[in-house]
Amino acid sequence: MKKPLNVVYAADERLPAGIAVLSGLQHVGLMSIYLVYPVLIARAAGSTAEIAAAMVSFTLVALAVGTILQVIPIGPFGSGYLCQPIPTVVYLVPSLVAAKHGGLPLVFGLTLAAGLLEMALSRVLQRLRPVLPPEIAGLVVLFVGIATGVIGLRVAFEIGEQGMAAGPADIMITLATLAAMTGLNVWGRGAARLFCVLIGMAVGYAIAAVLGRFHASELTMLSASAVVALPDLGYVDWQFDAAMFIPFAVAAVAATLKITGNVTTCQKANDAEWVRPDMRSISRGALADGVGTVIAGGLGAPGINSSTAAVGLASATGVLSRHVAYPIAAILLLLAFLPKLGLFFYVMPRPVAGAALIFSSTFIVVNGMEIMTSRLLDSRKTLVIGLSLVAGLAVEVYPVLVRGSASGLQAVLGTSLVLGTLVGLALNLLFRIGIRRTGTLTVPLDSFDPESLDQFLERQGAAWGARRDVIERARFNLVQSIETILAGCDPQGPLRVDATFDEFNLDIRVSYPGAPLALPATRPTNEEIMASEAGQHALAGFLLRRFADRVQCTHVAGHSSILFHFEH
Amino acid sequence: MDLRQDSKEGVVVLDVIGRMDSSAAPLLQDRLTAVMAEPRARVLIDLAKLDYISSAGFRILLLAAKRADETGCRFVLCGISGRVRQLFDVGGFLELFSIAETREEGVAAAAG
Repeated sequence: MKKPLNVVYAADERLPAGIAVLSGLQHVGLMSIYLVYPVLIARAAGSTAEIAAAMVSFTLVALAVGTILQVIPIGPFGSGYLCQPIPTVVYLVPSLVAAKHGGLPLVFGLTLAAGLLEMALSRVLQRLRPVLPPEIAGLVVLFVGIATGVIGLRVAFEIGEQGMAAGPADIMITLATLAAMTGLNVWGRGAARLFCVLIGMAVGYAIAAVLGRFHASELTMLSASAVVALPDLGYVDWQFDAAMFIPFAVAAVAATLKITGNVTTCQKANDAEWVRPDMRSISRGALADGVGTVIAGGLGAPGINSSTAAVGLASATGVLSRHVAYPIAAILLLLAFLPKLGLFFYVMPRPVAGAALIFSSTFIVVNGMEIMTSRLLDSRKTLVIGLSLVAGLAVEVYPVLVRGSASGLQAVLGTSLVLGTLVGLALNLLFRIGIRRTGTLTVPLDSFDPESLDQFLERQGAAWGARRDVIERARFNLVQSIETILAGCDPQGPLRVDATFDEFNLDIRVSYPGAPLALPATRPTNEEIMASEAGQHALAGFLLRRFADRVQCTHVAGHSSILFHFEH
Repeated sequence: MDLRQDSKEGVVVLDVIGRMDSSAAPLLQDRLTAVMAEPRARVLIDLAKLDYISSAGFRILLLAAKRADETGCRFVLCGISGRVRQLFDVGGFLELFSIAETREEGVAAAAG
């Protein structure tokens, strides 16, 4: 493991207390943006301001516990990386539906159940890869982003069954808040860029105050509330509904995929020699993430999930030390006893909350697109993505499409996240029929065409949904090996190429009648390379060995075979 | 492989486009031999549009660098990125050549 140059304090390094506290404050500042989510859920359930404030407090407690569990590895829990949880849009979307249909008890019961599902998924992450390939993972993230943006629009412009209720002043506040966030993100530097959402929200609050959008009763409630108080658990209860659990199950899958991505990013950020994901720490991280959501549901808070923004902040500052978790947790716990904080978010003007959701949705949408296209796509995968997108968007645009179903299912299937994901999962499983796991090609001696070899692996890679970088390495090995065999091994007949793939391994075997290809473990010297073609062939063999994860050569009865193994 | 030759500030700039493999490498070798026939020639090879390089390509570059040392020529590479850069790295070639990040820097380095 090698510490990258841009890292000041790596995950396992201690740091001065002052820097730890300052980093902790930065992280909490970033996390606090998302405290609007419990307030939105409380409002959707028709709860009082006091209950909303209590939900914020218990969300802070859940975040504090979740941070320690995730960042400080304890027993089987925790990745050990600074990717602590936040209240997440992943659980916001189904929570709003559940709040409207069954109130807060349904939200908390289903959140608890979703956390348990996340914990179960963490134990079988490797086996899930064929069922949850990147195009599905990316679709889920994309739908989360779309749903977030749609919710943001509904909140900002007060769009309901009767149409839009927002007036010109509300629209102005929305646009000004969004403009501030966007402007700072695009042109801002340093802290201004990092905290663009918080600053934008402050701008929204200020404009709302100037325009008289705060009711006197809200301001009275805020000033009259205690400065320090124990939050009241009296509102907490739990219910369960099988149909309503479906969107929470989809959210649990999305949350698991997100923590997987975040821990992988943290692994890369901490190790300049990173080659592939360490599934052990990913699995531990997913388990801790699930436990955090269970605790949140148990305490009367919405589901929480690892924060991509936190990962980004750590990378940007170079402070990746897990010891920052202690001040983060301490500050969060202190804030939990300040009821004014929860009420401050409760009185947040709807246009400000809506603008924050719209702004956040943009990054989630693009992140989903990047995940979807991280692998090679063929017609199967294109259809999975395209048809799922159309299905998901259709129910958002034409809710009448699901009006015929039972009312419980209507709420479930009427969201793009659930319907789009279910369609994607079903199509992915269906289209796996007929995918051949082995591709074969014959290379004649008299017409070596490197382009055809490239195209062969490109086609196979797309059909398999293989990772682009692994196919790139395999392409080099295939072309270079055949080039060298033809020039230096005197093959007596055509070369046969067999490419075999499962979700974890890509094997390329080149077989031919002729002398074996030398694959030296040490690099030939520059003088040897320049001296003759033999030196050039030795260099080729060295590169072939280094590019594959494993090589195996056999030579039996005049027949040679080379196997290049790539871990996927 | 396509080779395009240009001249800038007294530096011969060669754009290598496509694949540099055993069939294409002699073409580059012949061109470099011609260009470096000039005493104290200044040569920049831009690999930004190179899709693939094999051991044959590396050998030609090594021979060119050696000839440059022997004849007092300046020999610089630029535009190395992505998979090609990874090959240079794995093959231990990043430290062997004078490599510039951009074409402009390459011209400046070759011009001296």
